[in-house]
Amino acid sequence: MLDPQTIKQWKRFKSIKRGYWSAIILGGLLCLSLVAELLVNNRALIVSYEGKLYFPTYGSVIPGSEFGLDYEYETNYRDLQQQFKEKRSGNWVLMPLVPFNAFENDLRTDLFPPYPPSLASKHYLGTDSTGRDIVARLVYGFRIAMGFALVLLICSYAAGIMVGCAMGYWGGAFDLLFQRLIEIWNTIPFLYVIMIVASIVVPNFWTLVVVMVIFGWTSMTWNMRTSTYKEKAREYVNAALALGATSPRVIGIHILPNTISVIVTFIPFSIASGVASLTALDYLGFGLPPPTPSWGELLSQGTENLESVWIVSSVGVAIVAVLLMVTYIGEAIREAFDPKKFTYYE
Amino acid sequence: MNPKATTTCIGFIFALVLLISGCGGNQTSDDSDSVEETTTEEYVELPPHTVKEGDGLPDILPDDLEWLTNNEDPEFASPDAIQGGVFRTWILSFPLTLRTVGPDSNGSFAGFLRPNNLGPVSHHPDTRSPIPVLATHWAFGEDGRTIYYRIHPNAEWSDGVPVTADDWVFNIRFMRSEQIVAPWYNNYYTERIRDIKKYDSHTIGIQGADAKPPEEMHYNYGIGPRPKHFHKMSSTWVADYNWQPEPTTGPYHVGEVNKGKHIDLDRTEDWWGYELRYMRNRFNPDKIRIRVIRDVNTAWQHFLKGEIDTFSLTIPEFWHEKAKHEVFDNGYVGKYWFYNQVPVASSGIYMNTEDPLLGDRNIRLGISHSMNFQRVIDTILRGDYERLETFQLGFGDYDNTEIEPREFDLDMADEYFDLAGFDERDSTGIRVRTDEDGQKTKLSFRVTFGNPLHEDRLVVLKEEAKKAGLELELHMLDSATSFKQMLEKKHQLAWMAWASQGASPRYWEHFHSDNAGRTQTNNITNHANPQMDKLIMQFRESADRGERIRLAHTLERMVHNAAVLVPRTKVPFTREAAWTWIKLPTWHGTRSSTSLFNSQFTSAGMYSGGGLFWIDSEKKEEVLAAKRKGESSSPIVVVNETYRN
Repeated sequence: MLDPQTIKQWKRFKSIKRGYWSAIILGGLLCLSLVAELLVNNRALIVSYEGKLYFPTYGSVIPGSEFGLDYEYETNYRDLQQQFKEKRSGNWVLMPLVPFNAFENDLRTDLFPPYPPSLASKHYLGTDSTGRDIVARLVYGFRIAMGFALVLLICSYAAGIMVGCAMGYWGGAFDLLFQRLIEIWNTIPFLYVIMIVASIVVPNFWTLVVVMVIFGWTSMTWNMRTSTYKEKAREYVNAALALGATSPRVIGIHILPNTISVIVTFIPFSIASGVASLTALDYLGFGLPPPTPSWGELLSQGTENLESVWIVSSVGVAIVAVLLMVTYIGEAIREAFDPKKFTYYE
Repeated sequence: MNPKATTTCIGFIFALVLLISGCGGNQTSDDSDSVEETTTEEYVELPPHTVKEGDGLPDILPDDLEWLTNNEDPEFASPDAIQGGVFRTWILSFPLTLRTVGPDSNGSFAGFLRPNNLGPVSHHPDTRSPIPVLATHWAFGEDGRTIYYRIHPNAEWSDGVPVTADDWVFNIRFMRSEQIVAPWYNNYYTERIRDIKKYDSHTIGIQGADAKPPEEMHYNYGIGPRPKHFHKMSSTWVADYNWQPEPTTGPYHVGEVNKGKHIDLDRTEDWWGYELRYMRNRFNPDKIRIRVIRDVNTAWQHFLKGEIDTFSLTIPEFWHEKAKHEVFDNGYVGKYWFYNQVPVASSGIYMNTEDPLLGDRNIRLGISHSMNFQRVIDTILRGDYERLETFQLGFGDYDNTEIEPREFDLDMADEYFDLAGFDERDSTGIRVRTDEDGQKTKLSFRVTFGNPLHEDRLVVLKEEAKKAGLELELHMLDSATSFKQMLEKKHQLAWMAWASQGASPRYWEHFHSDNAGRTQTNNITNHANPQMDKLIMQFRESADRGERIRLAHTLERMVHNAAVLVPRTKVPFTREAAWTWIKLPTWHGTRSSTSLFNSQFTSAGMYSGGGLFWIDSEKKEEVLAAKRKGESSSPIVVVNETYRN
């Protein structure tokens, strides 16, 4: 099935424990975050009311009146659970592990936010300055940041790989022209562009992706250009050309698979930079609009409220942990793909 | 030495010279250059003073004038005050100019410069009656728009030159001139101030555009003098005078300037104003050092170290959280919470009635009842702020105190939204309306705002509004852009606060139909109502106080009934921290004190209430010694509710 080189690379990757375990943990976290609604949510997993079962997690809003409460807006399931317990009427509510979502303000009248971590209130990492649960903000913020980094990666690699391959394959004037264009393009200070855009329109997920792709696709071109140059000079390319293969076919079927190691090695680092730039933009206030859960926003709240040390420490640890894991994975992949260790000529 | 090394060496020296001349040196060279330039520049003669047809003051001073003065109101400064010492305060950025008019002159440093350009008359901070300053007496003309002043014979500029009527005549020509590059002043001194006349060296007359009630005359038309002997007008006046501080008539003038670092205000030696009843025992520090500290949190650290004397604690976080520090616990620094009575900012959620949904009054009423300000006040704002009842407030008799703000009430919101056709909810719990063509319209609005500090308030309001089935999308822009959007009327809901000043509220700019449906006007609700227009014009033109008060009450009620804005919160107090060597009178402040440790002449725009504190140097030694030894005394928290409504 797999070619022997891939198997060797995989074995090598597995043998680097740091990277391997990071990949498993991060992959696991990513998968869990996809079903975050089941773990961290203010909607109940299951409500049993008058003999009927309800599963509110993914459906529409169930108004309080459905459960015999006196309001038409969304049921407060934490209160409902409490009420059912007190009444002992056989009704019950099963809440997720962390019974808060990333937007609601769990405000008290006897204390002012931010509230410190507490097991009793189920705010395991405390709340931010408007009483929103930090675990919830972290989990949903993680999902958004990783999603953002992946979308950004796919878009900017697609553009960068295409242009880079074309530059290396055709060379000559085409290559020269694009090299100069990219150099000029690279001198545009992209952070300022984002700041200007953010002050005129409210950026959303997709506008941010578009702006960052427009200014971020160029970095991949240089590597792809060199690898394509290298591969193009090989005999198999000449053979393919002699058999009458078209340029797109040569690039797509023959050259690209042979440059994959270059691409794969860069992926983890691009993800790290994607997460870091979204966090930085949110921190500066030019990122996703409020009240989107975001690590950058939490970090800026944390630095403004250094007295409430739980904010800055939880988000700080989370950022460091994720970026560290991504870097370990990158390191392991680079090591695994390193031709110095594994070649057919060994 | 080989040739290559020589070139490198020369290049290095050249770079060094450039570097040295580039840093530090340019501060002084800038100044001297500009002075040199002006001597070669040809001076421009200001255009002669002109008067429009139908305007003009009488040639001879009318002899039936009733000259008024006021030396009977109580003094508000403490006789215990000691003069001397240096008061240390801070600003966020170094000013771009030391001029008080022209480009860039409207920055925060103007708050230190302008109060020292005294007017003829100010207002008592407690009784609010006019009090003499540069003028000893004043009289009103028969036409209701003219005011005469007798200038204090001993008044002089900080450079020792006497203040005379010529300085006033010069001021109007100066303010109308193109050289100052100040279109707003050009316009005000042409359209609002119509004529000025010198009757003798110490008597002047000023004529304004419209008749005003006497209490408003000084504020609107009582312009001050400008030192004629100081200004040499030329086409490069703006650049030439950029760093040349003008002589002042007030207690302080600009002293040492260390560009980028600090500016000193020195008290004028033998200041003439101490002859005046209401100036005695005030402006006690010899020097005010204003340091540039570019970050609030850094400034706070400086304050805790005792390098700054006072600090504002109005923001709840500062008062409640940041002020938990040993300097407070050990009694070295006192906390002051002082209620005042000044015009409050008209903060609100302004609804653009040109929006198809917001044009419906039922929807506006529904929105008003979906805004849970009480929850914001009780939680985020820690119960410190209060709900604002009306659009404009804090103008004494002009306030309509019978109006109750619309409270958060889901039943009422339900009723109004149902009336507007929004009687279903979608799967996310937001209301929808099915229109005739089967299209579904969602009850969702953009809230445009420009102050990132208010994000937490809006986050709470948004979550609460969901309960009423109303969705708010938060659009945070940079503050200049958000204001631009509002002036261009591109907003749906505008989170906005208008600063309020003066002796009576203003309605024309915010609600007259002349300003509706047009961009770049302050009528950001686009509210237009012919009946209201009529009353607004009556209010503007009337010189009868009683009638104006009646009209203001009616207008405020009409604003409330139109429900085009949801009034937000008010902050009817100032909160500050001060090291205990800064002393205050036993009554702490005045009715109009917007800051207890304001070192300057004015407070709240038109009142003279600043400069009441003094520095106790013995106490300073004591506190610093105690701090070194770690001795402590009981914490000081002062709450003064004398002027709480």
